[in-house]
Parts: sequence; C-alpha cells; structure tokens
Amino acid sequence: MKKFFLIIFFSAIVSSAQTDWVKWNAVQVSYEMKNNNELEQSVGFWASLQSAYKFLISDHDGDNCPFYPSCSQFYVEAVNNSGFVKGTLMFADRFTRDLNFFKGWKHYPVHCKTGKFFDPPYNYNLNPRSIQFLSAENSSE
Amino acid sequence: MIIKRTKSHIAEIFCNVLCVFVITVVSVNAQKLNDDFFSPKSRLSFGNYLFLEKDYLRASNEYKEFLKTDNNDTVRFKLSESFLRIGRYEEAANNFKSLFFSTSLTDEARLGLFKSLFFEKNFVRFRQYRLEENYTTEKFSHDIDRLNYISYFFDSEPLPDSSRLFSAFADLNRADIKKFYYMKKNPDTKNPVTAALLSAAIPGLGKIYTGEIGDGITSLITTGLLVFLSANNFRHDHNFRGWLFAGFAALAYGGNIYGSAASAQIYNAGVKFNFDNEVKLFFEKHNYFLPEFDFVNR
Repeated sequence: MKKFFLIIFFSAIVSSAQTDWVKWNAVQVSYEMKNNNELEQSVGFWASLQSAYKFLISDHDGDNCPFYPSCSQFYVEAVNNSGFVKGTLMFADRFTRDLNFFKGWKHYPVHCKTGKFFDPPYNYNLNPRSIQFLSAENSSE
Repeated sequence: MIIKRTKSHIAEIFCNVLCVFVITVVSVNAQKLNDDFFSPKSRLSFGNYLFLEKDYLRASNEYKEFLKTDNNDTVRFKLSESFLRIGRYEEAANNFKSLFFSTSLTDEARLGLFKSLFFEKNFVRFRQYRLEENYTTEKFSHDIDRLNYISYFFDSEPLPDSSRLFSAFADLNRADIKKFYYMKKNPDTKNPVTAALLSAAIPGLGKIYTGEIGDGITSLITTGLLVFLSANNFRHDHNFRGWLFAGFAALAYGGNIYGSAASAQIYNAGVKFNFDNEVKLFFEKHNYFLPEFDFVNR
C-alpha cells in the first residue's frame, strides 16, 4: 500500500515538474536598443545637419537649455510639424526667449520628469485650438 | 477500572456528538445568513450605505440588483443620481426619463434629466429640451432656467440678455454673477495682429504688450545689436560678416513678430483657462444653485 502511494506521489511530482519545466522555458530576449529618435531615422540634408549638431555641439555643450523640449529639439519638432519657414520663425522666437536676460521664465509650467520649463512647439503654431495652456501654479505635464 | 473506562468512553462520545451538533448549527445559521445577505432588502440597505459613503459605482450595482426583483421609484431615482455623480450621464438621463410618467418623482426626474445634460456639457440638447413641454416641469422651471443661464458661462454661445440672467439669481450672489458676466462679455484678451504690428514697428514691443516684458526687452537688445553688427561690418567692408549678421537680425526680427502673435494667443488661452476655472469653482461651491432632495440622503 505504501509503495502504491509513493508511486502516485512521485508520479505527480514528476508530471508537475515537467509542466513547470515547459512553463519556464527560456525566452529569447533582445537587448538591442530601439532608436525612438525620428531625427536619426530620417535621411538627407536635414538629418545630416541635426546629427552634425548633436555630435559636434550638443554632446560637448551638455544639457544647458532651461526648457523642455530643448531649443534644438523644439526646432526639429517645429519644422517637422509646421514646415521649414514657420518652424524657423518659431525657433528664432524660442531662441530669444531662451536668451531672456532677466531669466523671466517663472510663468512657464515645470515639466515634472525633467524639472525644466515646459514649452512645447504646438503652443506656437498660431492655431488657438492646438494651445494647451498649463498654469505655472499647477503644472501637470 | 472498567467503570472508569466506560465513563471516559461516554464522555468521548458526548464530546463528538456535541461537536457535530455545534458544527451543524453553525453551518445552518451561516447558510441562513448567506441567504439574507443577498436579499433585496439587504442589497437596498447596503446600496444606501454606499450612496451615503459616496461610493456611487458600487451603490448603483446594488440598486440595479434590487430593481431586478422590486420596482421602487426612489431607488430608481437614486440609481440615476449615482450614474450622474460618477459621470455616466447617458445612463443617468435614460433612468431619469423612465421616471417621467406615473410616478411621484416626475418633477425631480425631469430636473435630473436637465442636470445630466448640463454636466455632460450637451448644452444644445439642454436648450432644445427646455423648449419642449414633454421635458419641462412647472415645479423646477426656475432652477432649470437658472441652469440654462449658467450653461452660457461654459460654452462659446453669445450671452443672453443681462437683466434676465441676473434676475435668475439671488441678490446675495448677483455681484459675483455680474462680475463673471462682464468678464465673459469683455474678456481681457490681447489681439495677436496688434501684437505682431507692434513688434514690426519696434522689436519686442508686441511682447511687452502681451505682458512678456523681459522677452520684449531681450528681443529689442538682440535685434538692435545684430543690426548694429551688420551695419558696422558693411561700413568696414566686411561684406560676408555684414550679410551674416543681417541674416541673423532678419531672423530675430521675423521671429519676434511671429512670437508676439503667438504670445498674444497664449495669453488669451490663459485668460480663458483662468476664467473657466474661477467660474467652475464658484458654481461648484454653490452646487450650481440646484435644490437638494432629502429623500436621496436617507
């Protein structure tokens, strides 16, 4: 009788173990980093210019822009969304605001992830419907 | 010895019988309790408790279960009210409509329908229903009218006549309503074209007009400096540098004109945002001047 129970007991363990083994089969994981930067995925003169700026200036200069997105990223987004001429004008305006001698940035909401002043390009494309106003007092972006 | 063993044997049997008896009694009672727990009466009591605790989602589930077996106007009204308070306006409106005829809560239900449409911000349907006799109620006509006037503060339709609007509110609140009325009618906005023209005349002036004084002065200094550098280089026959700085100056000048118009639009968006917030907080504080029903909170 004891032997019979032992056989049943061991069979159950073995079958479960087998199930477990199948369940915990090795998973193929890819450690390749995905490039989410649309800028680097695109090709041509514009992309080369951006890559050159990033490689020659931005990487050495460091993360100095008080805004999020940074001025260069703002320019890229503005040109991609509003065209070259409008995007360039938006960037020229942003650059002057970045330059503000009086550091008058207090009215911008603070981006919680980066701690920088949040100033997205969609607020500047002269379309009142696309403006998403955020009060500096209760920044939530 | 034999007597002792017999006694202990009897005691053991007695204990076993007692255990079986206790377990049976407990099981039977537990089953009985289980039955009562899901009875319509218990569901209604629990639903009312959840409603008072402001757990409207779970309260609505209990009310729905109760209404499967019993029909009760108050419970249906509370179910509609629960939907209204959790933002399920369509369901709230449908349940309120089901109380329109042959019930004692017909007037309250009609008001409830208007509340659902108001909080859904479906002001077009709200105003359309207000003109139809099937939906209106004599008892709460004044409250519905007032809610209609409040709705004009939340949409872009032109405001109605001021004297009629003000008269819908009590004297105590009329000063606040007047303030909001004139803020809505004559908002303190900036004209983007004016801002752009000002910046075209004097770089940075458009920014100063929209309240960005620091940006305006910076633009003026930057553009002035670039123009000076360009002119100075041309004067000394450094044509390349002259054109380079002229290009930068043109970019700063154009960007500033563009930025001034954008700044005016952002300023206007801020005015609207602050107005909407202030109005919303005011009316929420006063519960939109809607009547409270005691039977709902019982």
